[in-house]
Amino acid sequence: MPRWGMVIDVKRCIACWGCTIACKEEHFLPPGVFFNRVLIGETGKFPTSSKLIYPVLCNHCEDAACVEACPTGATYVREDGIVAVDDTKCVGCRACMVACPYQQRTYYDEKTKNREFFPGQGKTEMETIGEKLYPFKLGTVIKCNFCSERVDEGMKKGLTPGKDEDATPACVNICPVGARVFGDLDDPNSEINRLIMEKKGKQLRKEFGTEPAVYYID
Amino acid sequence: MNDNHQNLVETMFPSDGSGIKPYEWMISPTRQRQWIDEKGIFLWLAFFFSEIGAGLYFMSLFYSFRPGIVIGWLITLILGGVIHVLYLGNPKRAWRMLMKPNTSELSRGMWIIGVFAVLGFLQMITPGGFNMVFNFIMGILCLLIISHGFATMNVVRALPAWSSTVVLPLSIISGIWVGHQLLQLLFALSGNATVVSGMEVWAATFFLIYILCIGLYAWGTWHMSDVAKISVKKMLEGDLKRVTYIGVGVLAMLLPLIFTLIMWGGSTNGFLVFLRLASVLAGDLAIRYLIMKTAVYNPLI
Repeated sequence: MPRWGMVIDVKRCIACWGCTIACKEEHFLPPGVFFNRVLIGETGKFPTSSKLIYPVLCNHCEDAACVEACPTGATYVREDGIVAVDDTKCVGCRACMVACPYQQRTYYDEKTKNREFFPGQGKTEMETIGEKLYPFKLGTVIKCNFCSERVDEGMKKGLTPGKDEDATPACVNICPVGARVFGDLDDPNSEINRLIMEKKGKQLRKEFGTEPAVYYID
Repeated sequence: MNDNHQNLVETMFPSDGSGIKPYEWMISPTRQRQWIDEKGIFLWLAFFFSEIGAGLYFMSLFYSFRPGIVIGWLITLILGGVIHVLYLGNPKRAWRMLMKPNTSELSRGMWIIGVFAVLGFLQMITPGGFNMVFNFIMGILCLLIISHGFATMNVVRALPAWSSTVVLPLSIISGIWVGHQLLQLLFALSGNATVVSGMEVWAATFFLIYILCIGLYAWGTWHMSDVAKISVKKMLEGDLKRVTYIGVGVLAMLLPLIFTLIMWGGSTNGFLVFLRLASVLAGDLAIRYLIMKTAVYNPLI
């Protein structure tokens, strides 16, 4: 069984927010909800300051703080390493949201559901279809799932996630500069492992000991 | 601009300027919102009521005071329990929270409250229920319930202000102190002046330890890390400074100190006991509010 992970090359990223938008389209996310974000910060002081661009998403941690905190077992780590939420078990206590050091979870409530992309003008056709095609349950927590639907479906068709678009997360497919690489962390010969080894991939906030499956290289 | 849009803009850019801008999210230290803002306020109240109910029950065990354990039991289960459930997004599934006691502090809390409900009821209805074994078990359960709220927060490693080692002692002493005050008032109302007067020496002791723990918490958090220091700064500056100075400084510390000094040596007075209790309750709420409201996450980059 593979363990899916991602490498993001922060030197390649041009902060186009393509990943953010592709993710919103893929999951029909309402306004204000992001499974993918791009953080832009600075380090150092003028004239030696430099800009930091970090696309962030759920890290699908091996020892996920959210999984530990969840009192119902609704949040769990799948065999392939993807941290998923079973919305039939979620009670909406938001312990996972508080526990996540990366703040990658969103509470889906009435207020979030009712937000419109064009406030006061009613929901667009896209929003209405989205609610039917990709329904979220009210009072539960939602998050990035590494596009597990695409990965699962693709694998059923014999495709390789990370190589074949139909089996690869939307944020990886859309990236115009190829800053994102998706693959199997357990396969020593995978592209993702090569990049992590060669370019000394780093995890965000490693000190929390959650073992993120998203690595950053530069 | 319609209400919907207004709400969205207000969420993103609060008019008081205190909120974090979307482009600062997790780049600057970002405040915890889920367990205090909007519906999260229920959790603040639920933790408070669970604590004071269990505190009253705990103190009543030492005096074998049945009305005290009944009221404490009711406060913990009805006020604490119901408000806890109201906070949930799917209250009908609350039973599922019993499923993961091995890793989840919330789940352990549910078990403890469940056992407390059953054994507490048995103690109430059993003649001679105040025996050593029962008292010992219920005492332990009460301490666990008192510390449950802060214990749930204490395990969140991502929020330095909640990870302080003083958080648990502070919660235990605040539960005992508030419970003691409630019990003292109940004795005062039942006209038992000798007991009320006798309890005063413990009131002074608990109060002293309570103040010490508040001081240690603030000092420890200030020196813990740069991000934790921001939490203390948020308490002392900006919008929350009024809650800190009035709620903690005056209601939790100064007024109880004055009342304690007036009643020093056991010269108690029912009205003063009531005033001190009201002040202590408001102060305890303020402390809990501040600790929950000012917790900030480490920036990601």
